[in-house]
Amino acid sequence: MSTTTAASTTAVGFRAQISGASLWDLVQMECLSRSRQVIRISGEGGVGYLFFAEGRVVHAVTSKLVGEAAALEILSWTNGLFQPCERAWPATGTIETSCEGLILRLAKQRDEAATNLVAFRARAPAVAAAHPFEEQKQRQKQEDDSQFEEIEIEELHEEGEMRAPTNIDQPAPPTAIGPRADLTTDFPVMLRLGPGGSIVTNKGASEEMAGVVAYAHRLGQLAGELLGVEPFVALECVFADGRLLMFQEENGDVVALRPRGDTNLQPLRDRLGL
Amino acid sequence: MTGAELRGAREQMRVSLVTLKDVFGITGSFVFTRAGDLVARELPPMFDDVALGEASSRLMRLHETFAAGGEQLDVAVLRFRDHKLYLKTLPAGALCILSNGAVNMPALRMAANLVGRRITPALETVARAPLEAAEPEPPPAPVPAARQVPLAPPGMRIFRGRPVE
Repeated sequence: MSTTTAASTTAVGFRAQISGASLWDLVQMECLSRSRQVIRISGEGGVGYLFFAEGRVVHAVTSKLVGEAAALEILSWTNGLFQPCERAWPATGTIETSCEGLILRLAKQRDEAATNLVAFRARAPAVAAAHPFEEQKQRQKQEDDSQFEEIEIEELHEEGEMRAPTNIDQPAPPTAIGPRADLTTDFPVMLRLGPGGSIVTNKGASEEMAGVVAYAHRLGQLAGELLGVEPFVALECVFADGRLLMFQEENGDVVALRPRGDTNLQPLRDRLGL
Repeated sequence: MTGAELRGAREQMRVSLVTLKDVFGITGSFVFTRAGDLVARELPPMFDDVALGEASSRLMRLHETFAAGGEQLDVAVLRFRDHKLYLKTLPAGALCILSNGAVNMPALRMAANLVGRRITPALETVARAPLEAAEPEPPPAPVPAARQVPLAPPGMRIFRGRPVE
């Protein structure tokens, strides 16, 4: 025990606590330092370990996956803790890809997942008609509704819920909203707008709602600027017969959610700082 | 409706707004009409009336935006980096409360409900008034100059306005 204490007191370097950083940033920092160490990441998907050596990730492991698949799984998490730890090293590395390569691969995975969301069952007909190929794709996709539903849930869970702004005072626990299957039940209407106002993801929202959300977001931004309290982070509206939550993500996307009347919004409010 | 009555209504609202500061974390508040005109404020001087008026106009437009979509906004909470803006719709306008991010929200909601109810009659009075009458209170007239003392002839002294030998 005394040896451990001595070692820890003689360790050289700073201990840091950073909040609001993205996991990608931390991984890149670790790669740049070219240190050899194991990092324990506890995120919304559980706990995983990244093994860094020679400026890259050489091994990764989660409760179910090993190697590159595990690294991609870990890198897709958006909230959690990043802590150095002691753990046995594998005899040989399981990942050959560079750090940048992993990040690119993850970005590609995300893009592909987003592409799968082009045909929204609840999308306004006018929008679908503007994209004949998507309309055709939609008809094909209707054959496998259950699979499509799964993709939608996953995508919205990852992007709409988990990629909420990270500079909030008290981020909620990862399971704040509940299991994935409950997400579409809790929020029957979900809308994601790109920075230019384009509809990126839509479930149950009308095109008119997209306009309302985009303009309300802009007005919120302006009110904040005029009062000198910018930037705008989130908005919750209470109407006579419902609610609307809206928040801006780091990439500029605006996400709007309409909960059911009996949905417990407190975890999401805590996460958004509302 | 006289200017004095309007000034009274404004002052009544301002006094009610002061009570909101009992809730820890509240920076201040302001009230505006459906037309987006700022009619009462209780905020530090760093928030100037022009900026508050502009912000009021945007916030009223937020209300109108949802109304255009068929929804009547009752309350909106806007979260900014370090602050929150609580907007409560009233029959003739809206009450807006600026607070820090860690404000006790249940207390704020309760205080906003009470103050909202209390200021509603005064806000309706001000909102009904013609625009010129509803203008902010003019700056007080300059204090009349003291009675001018006649200049004393050369060599004569003056004491308390009277020539003395």
